Amino acid sequence: MPYLEEQNGCSTKGDILLVLRHAPHGSSWLREGLDIALVGAAFDRDVSLLFMGEGVLALLSGQQAGALGQKGTHPTLQMLEMYDIDALFVEQRAMERYGLVQEDLILAPQGLEEAGMADLIKHHDLVLTF
Amino acid sequence: MILHVVNQAPDAGRTLEQVLSAMADDDCLLLIEDGVVGAMPTLAALFTALEGRRYVLREDLESRGLLGRQPEGFAIVDIDGFVNLTEEAAKTVSWY
Amino acid sequence: MRYAILVLAAPYSHQASHSALRFAHAVLARGHQLDSVFFYHDGVCNAARLAAPPQDEPQLLDGWMNLSAEHDVALQVCIAAALRRGLMDEREAARHGKSGHSVEPPFELVGLGQLVDLGLGCDRLITFGT
Repeated sequence: MPYLEEQNGCSTKGDILLVLRHAPHGSSWLREGLDIALVGAAFDRDVSLLFMGEGVLALLSGQQAGALGQKGTHPTLQMLEMYDIDALFVEQRAMERYGLVQEDLILAPQGLEEAGMADLIKHHDLVLTF
Repeated sequence: MILHVVNQAPDAGRTLEQVLSAMADDDCLLLIEDGVVGAMPTLAALFTALEGRRYVLREDLESRGLLGRQPEGFAIVDIDGFVNLTEEAAKTVSWY
Repeated sequence: MRYAILVLAAPYSHQASHSALRFAHAVLARGHQLDSVFFYHDGVCNAARLAAPPQDEPQLLDGWMNLSAEHDVALQVCIAAALRRGLMDEREAARHGKSGHSVEPPFELVGLGQLVDLGLGCDRLITFGT
């Protein structure tokens, strides 16, 4: 369970970092942020994702379209591997805030403490928050 | 140096808290729009770690009647100063 | 330096579009090149050609069009985000069998790849969110 390991820094480098701070369903921030990730990857750019704050709820398993028929973001998240987007990170403090552990999630992101998040931002050319 | 731009007031949610948690020791913070509310004297404790690295946009203070209420340690910049900060920073990250 | 601006908020709902337009002029006043203003998420609503705000309020649509005409700044609108929100040019209106169009030049409907190119091709990308 990589996110449980103590992380003092993060050495992952890349072209684009998307900081995803919104939960799915309530708004389109998450979906439209992820769309940039897919397009960036399709353009052969190295893309990393940091799920921060409520954004970690995007990874919660068991989501569905529900009564409203909104597509949600799970189908997009399931495509990340196909697009070679494998640099996935979560804010460790947000995981703890919501009482989540790796088994609750659909992917296997690495947990980051504060210094790790700052490093991640530093090592990407373009950083967009959504 | 990375410039972090925040347009949300401290009470609007967790945006400010999240920015502060993701800033490196040499990064700078600029408060714009509703974010300038953060530069009121009673909220100064939120930014003590950013001595010399915190800025606030003059015109957004002015429009809200907040100009002149800033505690020491906040540098007040105009729109030209905003652009200047983005020139000096390796990149700019906006939080909203 | 080469700059680009990303606008994510609807006009008149949030300050962001006003801030972005003012920042655009300040960038130009300091002698930089402004390649493009890219509109995404609710920011695409800035391209609505039928916007008719009261006369005593800032005229954002005119502001964007003047910026483009006087300084050769591209006004790029994410096509997927625009179509979802009822914003389309004549070509897209015909393609979707709609009887009117809501976007016209100098605004242009483009793919998200353009945003990736701007973000990594320009020296600076500055985002104005909600």
